[in-house]
Amino acid sequence: MIEEPYRWVEAIANRREYIETQLAPGSPIVALSYAGGILLLTVGRQKLFEIYDRIALGAIGHPGDIERLRMAAIELASTEGFTRSAADVSLRRLAYYSLSPVMKNAFEQIYGAPFLARLLFVEIGASPAEDLFLGLEYDGAISAGQPKEQNSRFAVLGGTKVSAEQMEQFLRKEHRDDDDLSAAFQLALDAWTLGHTSASETGEIPTREQIGELRKERLEDGVIEAAVLDREINSAVRYHALNTTDLAKLTTS
Amino acid sequence: MQPLELGASGLEDFPALLRRHGLLSPAGPIGAAEMSKDFKPTESTTILAFKFADGVLVAGDRRATSGNTVVYDRADKVLEIDRHSIMAIAGVPATAWEMARVLEHSFQFFRRTQLQEMSVDGKVRALSKLLRDNFGFALQGIGVVVPIFATFDTKASPAARLYFYDAMGAQFEATDFAATGSGSPGVRGILYYENTWGKKPLQKLDTDDAVVVALRALDTASEADTATGGIDRHAKIFPIMKMVSAGGISTLPEEKIAELFRKRVA
Repeated sequence: MIEEPYRWVEAIANRREYIETQLAPGSPIVALSYAGGILLLTVGRQKLFEIYDRIALGAIGHPGDIERLRMAAIELASTEGFTRSAADVSLRRLAYYSLSPVMKNAFEQIYGAPFLARLLFVEIGASPAEDLFLGLEYDGAISAGQPKEQNSRFAVLGGTKVSAEQMEQFLRKEHRDDDDLSAAFQLALDAWTLGHTSASETGEIPTREQIGELRKERLEDGVIEAAVLDREINSAVRYHALNTTDLAKLTTS
Repeated sequence: MQPLELGASGLEDFPALLRRHGLLSPAGPIGAAEMSKDFKPTESTTILAFKFADGVLVAGDRRATSGNTVVYDRADKVLEIDRHSIMAIAGVPATAWEMARVLEHSFQFFRRTQLQEMSVDGKVRALSKLLRDNFGFALQGIGVVVPIFATFDTKASPAARLYFYDAMGAQFEATDFAATGSGSPGVRGILYYENTWGKKPLQKLDTDDAVVVALRALDTASEADTATGGIDRHAKIFPIMKMVSAGGISTLPEEKIAELFRKRVA
């Protein structure tokens, strides 16, 4: 048993270190707004999911844990949407009220297993100002992706803190809300390349030309996965995954 | 070795999830003492669907009745369930609209959790299960629903699929047409006649001709059946018509129906 508070703090610190090591090699996820909505992009095995009409999820971590959290989110959103209406399904409530306390609890119960997962939820609103980016950590901490600068809304998920910071720094410089989809796609891919590279290297952020060269090399590891939350589509369901034809067109452009 | 324990959600469909949270009450039997003899539920009638050149056309009149009272003259009995499925209802709307809502959410829940579209067979069966769950009410005569389900599956052959159900949940696949509700005998007669001896079989009709056949069939039904609204010539209320084809569902604009009515039916 751990009787002393000190031991508990130590155990938590060990646990944090363990989880961070597990998450470190995770392939980054980039979500950024473009003229017609929000684009989500990553490379590797499937990590982007539809949660509800206007809510998407990107996740890094253990597939089993991601699956549990994903199912919980879909069940909560679907029952809410069914009993009330789709407009009453709120990402804020889903993250703060339902998921965060459960993840915090699992993390702090040091004899139980924590969730090995880092999540990024994105909700598209009626206007760009109402879009919401929410990052959810394995310990239940929530980071609201409030734009630090106007006219640039994005959020990233990295395996490590350094990776996430580099991607953010890069996007803060390069990203604009009114980019079209193909420009946003290229930018997201560059941000991903940077995030995937910085796992091993630190220092100055390379230029886009330098990233372009790295990109070819990095992309050999896996296939691109991308999805959009479309603001302009004439349907209640705003989420759709980009298929291989869409991706081929965007990659070559 | 212990058998593999599946999480509750691994086997659950959407109605089961709602029941677990107490959000979908099973249609339990109501005791005879609780039944009021005077209670007459609102009912809607006469829907039809047939395959035409582009896919399936589904049409329904607009009337809802309770006994011999007209409750509503602008009821919508032709409902979009997802991008490629239409459900039309004859029977008690309170139950039918709830069923449509459960169905719509079920298909989406399946796609989101299982990461693939539900198969046509799965969709057809989901509606069948809802009807069976409702059988207690149906037996008491206060919640009978007799739907038609039309869908278009580009990967299957034939791509256009049409089903009708009985109140217990049995599903019947129709080759050419289906009609249910109190005005359906007349409608079935007309559709059979058109399909067999008309200028062209129903499956060869273009959109305009298909709309005209549907209008004439509903008009005929309302001639003999007071519960069928047919076409309200004074208030200009026309049936609702939707089509499902390779590109998805489209709703025929009222002006278009009104124009065809003026030219070829009135």
